[in-house]
Amino acid sequence: RWHWEGENLACLNSNPPEQIYGVRYCSMTGWEQVCRFLDPEPADLSMEEESDTRKINNSFLRDHNYATEADIISTVEFNSSGELLATGDKGGRVVVFQREQESKSQPQRRGEYNVYSTFQSHEPEFDYLKSLEIEEKINKIKWLPQQNAAYFLLSTNDKTVKLWKISERDKRPEGYNLKDEDGRIRDPSTITSLRVPVLQPMDLMVEATARRVFSNAHTYHINSISVNSDLQTFISTDDLRVNLWNLEITDRSFNIVDIKPANMEELTEVITSAEFHPQQCHTFAYSSSKGSIRLCDMRQAALCDKHCKYFEEPEDPSTRSFFSEIISSISDVKFSHNGRYLMTRDYLTVKVWDLQMENKPLETYQVHDYLRGKLCSLYENDCIFDKFECVWNGSDSVIMTGSYNNFFRMFDRNTKRDVTLEASRENSKPRAILKPRKVCVGGKRRKDEISVDSLDFSKKILHTTWHPHENIIAVAATNNLYIFQDKVN
Amino acid sequence: MLGRGVKRKWSCLEEAEVVSEAAEDKQQHEDEDGQDGLLDPSRSDMSRLQQRQLVLGLCLEKLQRYQAGVELSLRRSVLLINTLRQIQEEMRSDGVGSCDVHPDSCLLRDDFREDVTVTCPGCSEGESPPELPSQEANGSDQQKPPAAVSDAVNAMGYLGDLALDDIFEDIDTSMYETSDLPSAWASGSLWPLSVSLWPDEDVKLRPQSHSTAGSLQSCLMDLNELDHIMEILVKS
Repeated sequence: RWHWEGENLACLNSNPPEQIYGVRYCSMTGWEQVCRFLDPEPADLSMEEESDTRKINNSFLRDHNYATEADIISTVEFNSSGELLATGDKGGRVVVFQREQESKSQPQRRGEYNVYSTFQSHEPEFDYLKSLEIEEKINKIKWLPQQNAAYFLLSTNDKTVKLWKISERDKRPEGYNLKDEDGRIRDPSTITSLRVPVLQPMDLMVEATARRVFSNAHTYHINSISVNSDLQTFISTDDLRVNLWNLEITDRSFNIVDIKPANMEELTEVITSAEFHPQQCHTFAYSSSKGSIRLCDMRQAALCDKHCKYFEEPEDPSTRSFFSEIISSISDVKFSHNGRYLMTRDYLTVKVWDLQMENKPLETYQVHDYLRGKLCSLYENDCIFDKFECVWNGSDSVIMTGSYNNFFRMFDRNTKRDVTLEASRENSKPRAILKPRKVCVGGKRRKDEISVDSLDFSKKILHTTWHPHENIIAVAATNNLYIFQDKVN
Repeated sequence: MLGRGVKRKWSCLEEAEVVSEAAEDKQQHEDEDGQDGLLDPSRSDMSRLQQRQLVLGLCLEKLQRYQAGVELSLRRSVLLINTLRQIQEEMRSDGVGSCDVHPDSCLLRDDFREDVTVTCPGCSEGESPPELPSQEANGSDQQKPPAAVSDAVNAMGYLGDLALDDIFEDIDTSMYETSDLPSAWASGSLWPLSVSLWPDEDVKLRPQSHSTAGSLQSCLMDLNELDHIMEILVKS
């Protein structure tokens, strides 16, 4: 599947050969680091450092050679079994990684992820009425649980949701009567006998086909999609509306939330994200730019304008500033796997809410409070509008979210311990332990600490995902994908 | 095809630091407080005022900024407008408004020109505003350029009006508006401040007004005849 084209690694799965951006494997703090570079000839992992005999070319991992803005990863998502990992990028492409089978002979190379399929999901479009481009950037990918041999996922850009089927083909028919093996049509007069085509094995081919296109339902930008636990419906959400779809029906959708005021001048709040409850197929939640979350029950009315529950923390008047509202805007909302909690991410914090308690969050975690004094600068350079995502681990005991300088943070809800890690090539060496990072806020800076002013705000980790069962995480750092897994003792 | 990204002006970070330094000096000493210069009344009042002016200018600049052919984010626009409103409320309650020249009287001034009005840094730098033919009979033959927003601005952008809207009440603009486009703000809701981000089909000529203390900006739009006709055709 792989071959080298000059300094770049190319995958022969697709035509034309795709180039894969850097994928590296490291491990989380406290565990062994397993480092492997994508390599056509799998290397012996017991080697402490790269040697020249391996076909590892470090230029492959530099992100300036061939990476363009289109390579910026815009979403990452594990499927429900964790076997597949999908990434979407700004160029409208989806790259799906598959975990390889664990081999008994090399147990330390437990199930690593290889590229499985690459396809162009969305193309740039032009809205002629408004004279505006519609970006092909993939905003969200959501997997459907697997029901047969094929895999299905939903991918969306600003306006259109698509259902993709990813299936394998390892046999092909041979022995046609009307055409020969090259595909050329045979002269019928030369055919003297009939034969039945036979299925012969072929090299594995993974193909992606668009099975449904759900379009023309959103005037504003789609920010999220969510598959219902009934596996028959899903919602797509833009700034002002939530639409309910049936996966089989593309020409109709039901509008279930509409916060557009009759007079647009009165608009002061938009929807930032929405998600179905993981078990209750009639319940969903949506977050707003004012820091509130509404839980809705679809059984109550066709239009869920009245919420069942309303979650909002009263503002602390002592911290009020010009930026209070902007930093309270929720950028992501996620139900816990057990369905009892909600997690929200605003600019500076992550909050865990108990669904039974609406007036304040159960827990609040400071992601990067040292930025509170820099809000004016962050407002000027637009970073204050960055939308970070947050994610639960499989057991709902740890939550994770990204920050700047390619840092990401994990919070253990039980022990209340937290850690800051960095997704960076320089700090990831084979067999090394990933070091916790620390930002120092004024005063003396200790060795290995980084000061707030040295943070690189162009390196932001907005998108992360956690394997549903194991301690494997995928972190998108601009155009690089990092997959971290813990060590097995 | 490459997607379009928003360029971040990293160097602005340092410039902004200088201006709001007074507020942030405070910050470094009192990390856990998390306020933007609200602690010491006497010292922070001035820095807060400075910061307010800065934020005000940035708000306007950001609202006017656009990317040709790409829709603006509604969320961003809403957050910016809300911040603007908050600042305006504060300015009003501080009594700043009383210093303002009444907008109407500005119209009557013969020497009413752009360079008199602007205190907003973004606008004063002059982002090559498009030329505007005078379309309405308001008696003013001044050209009011400072539209940084062209008719490519997304329909989701916000519209704003001065109290000057009263003058144009008799002009029927209902055919320029669609249900999906935000219509003009109620006049006076943002006085003395106004921001206009017009949808691609809409146009009005707005003479500028100014304020001595705060920053006023009214943006003017070209009428793209073709788009306008298209819109009407589509509606019918």
